[in-house]
Amino acid sequence: MRRILTAAAALVLLLTGCTAGDEGPDDGVVRLRFQSLAWQKESVDANRQLVDEWNATHPRVQIDYVQGSWDSVHDQLLTSFEGGEAPDLIHDASDDLADFAYGGHLADLRPLLPERLRADIPARSWETTTFGSDKGVYGVPFLQEPRVIIANRKILESSGVRVPTPEKPWSWTEFRQIAQDLTRSMGPGRYAVAWPLKEPVSVSLNLGLSAGGRLFHREADGRVTVRFTEADAVVPGTIHDLVVTDRTAPRTTLGSGGSDTLPGFFAGKYAMVPLGFAYRQQIAQQAPEGFEWTVLPAPAGDAGLTQGVSPQTLSIAEDSPYKKEAAEFLDFFLRPENMVRLARGDWMLPTGTKALADPSLHTAEDGWATGAAVAQRLRPAPAQSVRGYPEWKDKVATPAFQEYYSGAIDAGELRRRLVEDGNRVLARYQRK
Amino acid sequence: MSALRTSRPARIGQYLALLAYLVFLAFPFLWLISTAFKPAPELASLHPTWIPEDPTLGNFRQAFDEQPLLRAAANSLIAAVSAALIAVAVATPLAYVTARHRGRLASAATGWVVISQAFPFVLVIIPLFLILKNLHLVNSVLGLVLVYVVWSLPFALWMLMGYVRAVPAELEEAAAVDGAGRLRTLVSVTAPLLAPGIVATALFAFVTAWNEFFFALVLLKTPEKQTLPVVLTHFLGAEGVADLGPLAAAAFLATLPSLVVFAVLQRRITGGMMAGAVKS
Repeated sequence: MRRILTAAAALVLLLTGCTAGDEGPDDGVVRLRFQSLAWQKESVDANRQLVDEWNATHPRVQIDYVQGSWDSVHDQLLTSFEGGEAPDLIHDASDDLADFAYGGHLADLRPLLPERLRADIPARSWETTTFGSDKGVYGVPFLQEPRVIIANRKILESSGVRVPTPEKPWSWTEFRQIAQDLTRSMGPGRYAVAWPLKEPVSVSLNLGLSAGGRLFHREADGRVTVRFTEADAVVPGTIHDLVVTDRTAPRTTLGSGGSDTLPGFFAGKYAMVPLGFAYRQQIAQQAPEGFEWTVLPAPAGDAGLTQGVSPQTLSIAEDSPYKKEAAEFLDFFLRPENMVRLARGDWMLPTGTKALADPSLHTAEDGWATGAAVAQRLRPAPAQSVRGYPEWKDKVATPAFQEYYSGAIDAGELRRRLVEDGNRVLARYQRK
Repeated sequence: MSALRTSRPARIGQYLALLAYLVFLAFPFLWLISTAFKPAPELASLHPTWIPEDPTLGNFRQAFDEQPLLRAAANSLIAAVSAALIAVAVATPLAYVTARHRGRLASAATGWVVISQAFPFVLVIIPLFLILKNLHLVNSVLGLVLVYVVWSLPFALWMLMGYVRAVPAELEEAAAVDGAGRLRTLVSVTAPLLAPGIVATALFAFVTAWNEFFFALVLLKTPEKQTLPVVLTHFLGAEGVADLGPLAAAAFLATLPSLVVFAVLQRRITGGMMAGAVKS
């Protein structure tokens, strides 16, 4: 019995020892919690260094760096907001902000941000974080990545096909033809291109902008409806034809994530893989010795190299009592030279025009120059601010695109589902 | 006795089925170990091998360099051990009373236990968060332990009730006839027979708490208090991209405590359960 009592006492002591709350000492120092989603070493190092530099020069406003996770950030933030315990500074992506902005959980940054920062980031990027009828700005878009084609240089050059540049990209029609030429030259069991389409909606919509596709149209009464025009059909139609008609892209990668296609890419099974710009880091780390790769712009349509992006963002919680101090930190954190460090750490492109002009982001090495060249053509991802978009995406568009790309349904059925089923979903969110 | 004898083909079939089941269970873990020791280029090979061609400890080094794994493991251990001990301490007397003294209240209690298992995490997390916040127990290991105790208690109770029912009441009656008081009977007769059940229940509560992710993610705010499952997600990026080598290395280390605890206690559990089951 005595042993049990001793153990119980030890347990109580242990737990109470671990129970210090999160209220810091009352020393007049403002402490801000900054939840960052940076996860790769280079990126985490860049973030931490900037926080350390700030803390060293701002003894009255200290930043506590907390690492979050992309995998669970939405649920975690939602719960934290509801419980009034959200971090003061929040790293997220623009396509995840709508619910939080409409829910009143994020501070409108317009009165808080300095003119320097507002002017440095182009209006098209600010659009991605602007929500509501009063056009409030609920995050600073600071990093973005276009979708590019990463190609096996040896296969590409030995096949004799024209290598595209940002100035003279492939058209979608030419891309289809080149895929046929490449597949023929590579031999059986090999494919010109592998499409990792685990998330088919964002790929289809974002690249669809290049052909003038919009899919979501705001009507005169302010409501948003889905329309599937000929321009909207160009990119999905090309992907479908590559997989189903031409067999120049394997069906097996349609359900894969980008990383899953890399073993086949390194082994020469696929000549090209359309991926986000940041995947270059993984390729640089994992490519076998002697493997040569190059970064090509995605094919262009009637709208040129235009494509949609959902930039990474930094927001301030509405509940934070220190919004002014948090905004001052953002101003420091996103100075052009710091934005370059963050961009290089994450292998992405900065949204800031001054940062984007940095020579280190225009080198041919690792394809930086290709990305920087298409940066001017990046636009807000379609529909990211449309209420009901997540449900439309999960319940209607994802299965419809997956079935279309695998050949299970035709373009007519795809159109019917996206438009008829889709508008029914959106209507529920737009009842007045 | 002859009814229990099985034919040779049937026996072979049974062993094959058992082997297939073992392979099914072991495959992910063996693959995890293999991945933990592979260098980055091997992880991206089109023809992956079971045995790493160029084994490395680099993933382990990187995992420890990049994340505070030891601190997180200590936090997990404190939370899981505390939750297991408290859950067992609360559930054991409750299970005894509910199993031995059957009545309307006991039936209602067991019914409620079953119903409570139907509530998913997401349904309770926000109310729970608000309650803990009012008690100033957000971002505290004590708060997390309380949640784990509450979360594992119904099943622990259910499990222990089964063990209590398996202890013949006649043994307690015999002790009473021999002059033992209620407390003496409980301590000297019932408790030793229940020990394997208590250990099994504690194990269940320990493993549940050790592996739990969502409550820890939501309730713990500062890095110093984060538990191992939360820290493991720091190796994951957007769109399912992962730092596979260090993730596998850290995940492999994270599974070891559960395995060790099971390995050490498993023999005692089964031994205890079988003790005195048949007359020799």
